[in-house]
Amino acid sequence: MIRVLDFLESLRATLWPRAARRFEAAAFLLPALLLVGVLVLGLAWMADASLRLLDTETFELSEHWTLANYRDLLENDTAWIVLGRSVLGAAVVTAVTLALAFPYAWVMVRTGSAWLRKLLLVSLFLPFFIGQVVRAYGWLIVLGKEGLVNQLLGALGMGPFKMIYTYGSVLFGLVQYMLPFAVLLIAPAVTAIDEEVELASETLGAPWWRTFLEVTLPLARPGLVAAAMVVFTLALTDYAMPVILGGGTNDFVANMVYDAFFRTSDSGMGSAVAIALVAAATLLAGVLLTWLGAGTLGFRGEAKR
Amino acid sequence: MKHDDTFESRRRALLQAAGAAAVLLPFSRAGLAAEPAKPKELIVRVWGGEWKDAIDGGVSKGFTKATGIAIKYDETEDNELQPKLWAAVKQKRRPPVAVNWDTTTNATKSALKNMGEDLGDLTNLKGLLPVAKPLGFDGWPLVNVYSYVYVLAYRTEAFPGGAPKSWSVLLDPKFKGRIALYNDGIGFHPAAQVAGGGKVEDIPKNMKACWDFIAKLKAQKPLLGEDPDFTNWFQKGEIDLACTIVTNARGAKKNGVKVAWTIPQEGAKVDTDALWIPKGLPANEVYWAKQYVNYALTAEAQQGWCDGLGLPGVNPNIKPPADMVGDPAYPTKPEDFAKLLRVPNKIQVENEKEWFGKFKKIMQS
Repeated sequence: MIRVLDFLESLRATLWPRAARRFEAAAFLLPALLLVGVLVLGLAWMADASLRLLDTETFELSEHWTLANYRDLLENDTAWIVLGRSVLGAAVVTAVTLALAFPYAWVMVRTGSAWLRKLLLVSLFLPFFIGQVVRAYGWLIVLGKEGLVNQLLGALGMGPFKMIYTYGSVLFGLVQYMLPFAVLLIAPAVTAIDEEVELASETLGAPWWRTFLEVTLPLARPGLVAAAMVVFTLALTDYAMPVILGGGTNDFVANMVYDAFFRTSDSGMGSAVAIALVAAATLLAGVLLTWLGAGTLGFRGEAKR
Repeated sequence: MKHDDTFESRRRALLQAAGAAAVLLPFSRAGLAAEPAKPKELIVRVWGGEWKDAIDGGVSKGFTKATGIAIKYDETEDNELQPKLWAAVKQKRRPPVAVNWDTTTNATKSALKNMGEDLGDLTNLKGLLPVAKPLGFDGWPLVNVYSYVYVLAYRTEAFPGGAPKSWSVLLDPKFKGRIALYNDGIGFHPAAQVAGGGKVEDIPKNMKACWDFIAKLKAQKPLLGEDPDFTNWFQKGEIDLACTIVTNARGAKKNGVKVAWTIPQEGAKVDTDALWIPKGLPANEVYWAKQYVNYALTAEAQQGWCDGLGLPGVNPNIKPPADMVGDPAYPTKPEDFAKLLRVPNKIQVENEKEWFGKFKKIMQS
């Protein structure tokens, strides 16, 4: 056994000499940098394609660069409607998801009952194993005209009600999809809150709601900000929920990208919409971070108050 | 293109070596002696459900029996496979499928980009109906394989008095939220043009009647989807009316859904689907992919395939399936053909983007 370990040690010394150890941190970063590099290459290709116009007689993109796709996009009423719907939807989904995720995470972390904690964890992870598309189809079965809910309401002499293929149903599906992400991001922040600080607040006479608003929530801010950013960007760029639960008339921006690439074979316009979406999402995330400060994510740095 | 030249010369050399007999007598003893090596399998892109069942039972099983070559299916949506095929051909990679079963509109786009092998040497092209030949091309970069009609499908329980007479029934407030169209408006433009008081001949120059009719339809809160959605929506009781390909309505009916269809008085759009072979395949696979397409055009294969789809093929020697005899959606009589609204494929391809944009503008507002 010792010989094997000696051999492995000498192998490591040969392949990765002591002098190279200062590069260890960089080596660990290399896979991530490669991955980001591939994404940047893809974005560069899309940026190039976005500057080329489709010729519908040959279905080739132009040889020369032009801003025509971006101009068309800016003048396209549909694009603005879809962008507005996506941003508003992402904002509503973020607010509702955080409102539901925080108490879930708080109970999951603070409960004294191991049984309840396990139940909440299983309920949290189960949807991850199912996947977004299947979950969306599940809602079609539950909320459809002849679905479970309408059948129950029918037994009570009510309905049937239209509960799917609306903007509301898309947002509902997105909230359900985003909830586990938000809980998982908020839970570590709640765990990090020292319960004695809350006790001190209550000991000094603060009612529970004041302790919650002025102690618990501010201390949980790194988790809340991280969850808000993840939920907002995922909802803003979502494709499947609007397709499955939107009935074809509640598209988000990602659906526009798909349409341009795959329905009208216009990779130039598809790239322009995609670049605009990336720019909008990055800008909104940047504004959020600038407003709250990078420290709110738990990184080193001063969190703004 | 250099790639095309090299590939073409290799293909020609192989075909010369194989001999004309192999092309003229596929699957015969004379042909087999000089045929290029058989691949283990060929990948064919198909639509799922009854569409796949139809090509499998009508074409693929017979082809496999005759050649021993297995057929595998790729059910990637035609619109999604298209850029992958284009990228593969452009980057000189092997394309993901050997035979693409495609809409003629999409196949025409690919042909305009010179993506397909020329099928002009297929022996079974002779004697096909004129609709088989793609318009606007010197050769055969694709071959149309059957026609289909976008019918007005309806839930029979919602129409106890019989079939609706006009597309205008879609505007009846009684059916608000219970109608469906394709999510790109495909198949509906000519019907909307006539139902809105316009003429098909005015497409694409003056389509005001079409867009006005579709704008009125928006107030009816239609559902917009793809082929499988229509069957699903009828099954789940979500809709009473839909503009869809007759095959989908027939499929739903076969599955026990109480659905029927009609060609309204304004007429209904007729279109075609096609088969084509992408460039970039090894020469022996090109040969056998061509034999697959050639076999698909025989009366035997067309009969089985089109029976499954309930559609009229391009081989004049096939007969309608029993349940479609006398159905105007399977046109056989002059009065049936008179009700079909046809938009030339070139016009569809050139205007698709603009029409799609206008349809989306109405439906997303």
